[in-house]
Amino acid sequence: MLCTWENTTREVAIAEPEIALLPVATTEMQGQHLPVGSKCFILDAISRRVGETLPCSTYLLPTLPLGTSGLHLGTPGTVALGWETLASVVRDLVESLLAQRISKVAVLVGLGDASGGAAWPSDNFIVKTAVRQLNYDHQELQAIWVQPFRAAWTDLLDIFETADKEVHAGEVITSVMLHLAPDLVGEDRSDHVPAAGPELLNYAPFARVCPGGVWGCPSLASAQKGAQAFHAAVRHTANYIVSTFDSLAPMKTCQGAGERRSGDA
Amino acid sequence: MLDSHATSARIRGGAPSVAVFSIGAIEQHSIHLPLCTDWYQVREVSRRVAQELGALLVPALPYSMSQCHGPAPGTVWLRPETLALVVRDVVLSLRAQGIRRIVLINGHGGNFVLDPVIRELNLAYSDLMVIRPPFEGGFNAVDLFEHGDVDSHAGEVETSLMLVIRPDLVKAKRLDHVPAVGREFFDYVFLDRWAPDGVTGIATAASAEKGRKALAVSAERLVRTVRETFSALESLKSECPEGGAG
Repeated sequence: MLCTWENTTREVAIAEPEIALLPVATTEMQGQHLPVGSKCFILDAISRRVGETLPCSTYLLPTLPLGTSGLHLGTPGTVALGWETLASVVRDLVESLLAQRISKVAVLVGLGDASGGAAWPSDNFIVKTAVRQLNYDHQELQAIWVQPFRAAWTDLLDIFETADKEVHAGEVITSVMLHLAPDLVGEDRSDHVPAAGPELLNYAPFARVCPGGVWGCPSLASAQKGAQAFHAAVRHTANYIVSTFDSLAPMKTCQGAGERRSGDA
Repeated sequence: MLDSHATSARIRGGAPSVAVFSIGAIEQHSIHLPLCTDWYQVREVSRRVAQELGALLVPALPYSMSQCHGPAPGTVWLRPETLALVVRDVVLSLRAQGIRRIVLINGHGGNFVLDPVIRELNLAYSDLMVIRPPFEGGFNAVDLFEHGDVDSHAGEVETSLMLVIRPDLVKAKRLDHVPAVGREFFDYVFLDRWAPDGVTGIATAASAEKGRKALAVSAERLVRTVRETFSALESLKSECPEGGAG
């Protein structure tokens, strides 16, 4: 069962949510063809479907529309938070959930990409650090982070031709926007894949590396691919959340039990 | 009006000189209103104001300083220093793209950190005009209500506004409560200690008709205050010697 911000406090009390979902998006330049709110719109839709899919009572928080988009700073419509700000927002929200005894929190971080591996996020990196620190600070907490496109990366590589080359406003995100909100997608879709690796973005502003605002191949996008990717992202994200909490629960319990056992010995 | 549904290129083309950033809250609103009441109200009025001003509308921040409600189910909050950081970052992001007139519209009465933040920003960056015209969830039109004097949360004002914005989310059964202590008690204890049902005001007196009128007046007053404040600031800035030289 899913409750959201549109419920009353009493309805949330009755639902006794076991898990909370906190989506953290960005508002930033997305090439010539996509709205600056694209990641927020997609993450909103994915998070709601994930919440409806989870087998336990779940409280979905509103998507934070702003994230660490510093490398797009100065482009019209980009509104970025600093990393320490985003870390503080995540900490405060998770701690306020913990205060009402919701101890399992999944932070859905941006969208991620299809480059594989779950250990390092590709958007809003600092959430990883914030989640880790929250788990150190609160024994009773089980906070995790997940990126929907990253969770579905094997499917994405099958669905798309250039998922592995996409860093920004390419085939994947354009397809998902064509699926969710075709009216908002423009026609000016020129492809651009720099020879350098994405680590270049740690050193130079995005607009210098990709003057057209694109790193990927939006010309290959289609609504049909977008629908497939959307459903894959929902399925894999929900599965990842369920299996991660399943793996984590006994480990968190063992921590306390282990201490007691060593005390007994 | 430009908002996050527009591409960066379209926003560049529109060259907005003013931006509106609004701040909501996710917090208990007694038995009859949804957690998102402050957020939906401020989104509605900000959209009207941004439209009127031809401003860039930044996505509203859904959460803010709601710790005054304590661990009431569904309530989440930011600490004051976190909200201060968010506002600073948003303002500086807008400045980085050449927008120097920024209107903050506050949907939640408890966000007292906003004034120190905007004061600091305005003093640190002489090219900025960050202003905060009063709104606080319709309370800039509180004089239009019968029981405005005893209202501060989930009462006649907020219920009337929500009856216009999202009537489907307003429950029929409502409770009234007039606290025996003043609003400064927000500073001392969680609200449930002095307003057990999470309401301070006369929710049963709410109506869509009152809400419609209040929303219109509230937006009108906001727009007027914004225009007057910017124009007063402009003449102040043009009087200062550096302004004249530049």
